[in-house]
Amino acid sequence: MNTLFAIATGIMFGMGIFQLLRRDLIKSAMGFYILFTAINFLFLAVGAYDGIIAPYVNASNQMNEQSSDPLVQALILTAIVISFGSYALLLGLIAVSSHRFRTIDSDNLDRLKG
Amino acid sequence: MNNALLLGPIFFPLGGAALGILLVRNRTYQQMLGLLVGVLAWLCSIAILLANLNGDILTYNLGGWVPPYGIVLVADLLTSLFAVMATTVMAAGILYMLGCRDKSVAVPAFMPLFLCMGAGLNGALYTGDIFTMFVFIELMVIASVILVAISDNRLGLEAAIKYLFISAMGTLFLLTGIAALYASFGTLNMADIARLLASGNRPVLSQAAAVMLMCAFLLKSAVFPFHFWQPDFHTAAPTPVHAVLSSVVVKVGIYGLIRITTLMFTDETPLIHSLLLVLGVIGIFFGSLGALRTYDAKRLLAYSTFGQIGFILVGIGWGAPATLAAALIYAVNHSFIKSALLMITGVIASRTMTKTSRLSEIGGVGKSMGFTSGLYLIGGLALAGVPPLNGFISKVTLVQGGIETQQWLTLGLVVGAGTLTLLYMTRTWQLIFKQEPDEKVQIKPYGDSILAPTLLIGVCIMLGLFASPLINLALRTVDQIGDPSRYIRAVLGG
Repeated sequence: MNTLFAIATGIMFGMGIFQLLRRDLIKSAMGFYILFTAINFLFLAVGAYDGIIAPYVNASNQMNEQSSDPLVQALILTAIVISFGSYALLLGLIAVSSHRFRTIDSDNLDRLKG
Repeated sequence: MNNALLLGPIFFPLGGAALGILLVRNRTYQQMLGLLVGVLAWLCSIAILLANLNGDILTYNLGGWVPPYGIVLVADLLTSLFAVMATTVMAAGILYMLGCRDKSVAVPAFMPLFLCMGAGLNGALYTGDIFTMFVFIELMVIASVILVAISDNRLGLEAAIKYLFISAMGTLFLLTGIAALYASFGTLNMADIARLLASGNRPVLSQAAAVMLMCAFLLKSAVFPFHFWQPDFHTAAPTPVHAVLSSVVVKVGIYGLIRITTLMFTDETPLIHSLLLVLGVIGIFFGSLGALRTYDAKRLLAYSTFGQIGFILVGIGWGAPATLAAALIYAVNHSFIKSALLMITGVIASRTMTKTSRLSEIGGVGKSMGFTSGLYLIGGLALAGVPPLNGFISKVTLVQGGIETQQWLTLGLVVGAGTLTLLYMTRTWQLIFKQEPDEKVQIKPYGDSILAPTLLIGVCIMLGLFASPLINLALRTVDQIGDPSRYIRAVLGG
């Protein structure tokens, strides 16, 4: 399971970085989101060592030994909300800039210089 | 120990932002609310600093959960020093906004976003939990990106897109570092991580985390290899936002660096210090030379921030208690000077027809503005370190620390580069205030209010004339953070 996680996270990181470095700003923004998903995978992998069932306390108020780590899942939820917000904002900015500067090519967004 | 005072600097601005959205239809009420909230946050941070001076480290367990399980807010002297600096500049920024004639300031969401940025800034300083720090830093980044995107300068949009991408990279480093720390220790509380690290438990992954966190903080502070976004992003911002970004927001990274080197990764500290020394010296030269050759008065000050951050890093990098204290003094003084100078430049720019701060177009605009001219000269001389202003105090303590640690090579470079500051500030002052204005240039009879920069320059002069309280405070801070066990005991108890 851990090997699978490691390979999947690695592939996600690779795809994200490749997309992020494209000149097209929309593709680049997609890379941005893929990278954040890769980070979420990483968090999940960190907490997934032996958990296979949901982390509820049982009738005798004890944690089951095989319950997974709940904290990483809370962290991932927070990270998803934040990355989703940033992604939406980024796409909004790109949409406005495509009207204002008539380009979505990052090489043409170079008027701030010096 | 629960001290509810700690909630003030974070939740007053957040609450103010929420209420401000309800008050979009009445701009006067919204602005009064913003000012009230800014002043309340400022008073809270000062009250916390005063409570700290009695020797206590204040903590507040959010939701009543005991650390290391719950999120905890911590205020030791280092936090309080940075927070007082941040809330002062935030309050001055809000005051400037009241007298600002920019179109972007009239956008209904401007004040709530500005307050969100302040809440994120204070939250990142006060939290004792590294994931919460990430959340607050993101709040600050997103608010500042929107504020720059709606700037009067049309290129603000381009700058906002650039910064959002760059800051996403910083976030990526920070999150990877947090994941690595969680994998190593199973906790996110900084005091708990420090306790586990100090007990000799050092997995390889924790050192990777140190590198990742350092990259993230260096990126937030715009230090040499990660600096390229900073002049673009800061130049295009509206004046009150620029004043806050360029003076206190870049200090969050400095705070993080000091925190991880003194509290968590104390064994790796010599290595980090030698790295910071090199990056700092490069930053000083790049920043000063960039400021000399640039074409825009606001951009000049943004480059200058890049150089001044270098001085602070050199102070941290020398590694002795005296030089760390000098770096803290430098950070505080630089915030006040730089925000005042930026606001004055904004006042000048608001007098031109196109609201530009290009040096080719604002030459001579300030010829008839005697008071503003005096303020700019005082600010410029303070930045260059001329006595009796506060910049002199920070330079002197830094040089003294350098002599004590006998780092002659870097000391020579730092002092030599310090003169470049004098060169670019006096050159700009002459250009704006002494030259005859071009005949084509039309000057508006009115502009932004000069009140906020006047107050900040007043603070600069006071900190120069009565420097000993700040120096003593910095020395006590260094004394307190020199012993991480006090922080750990205050947070975890026992």
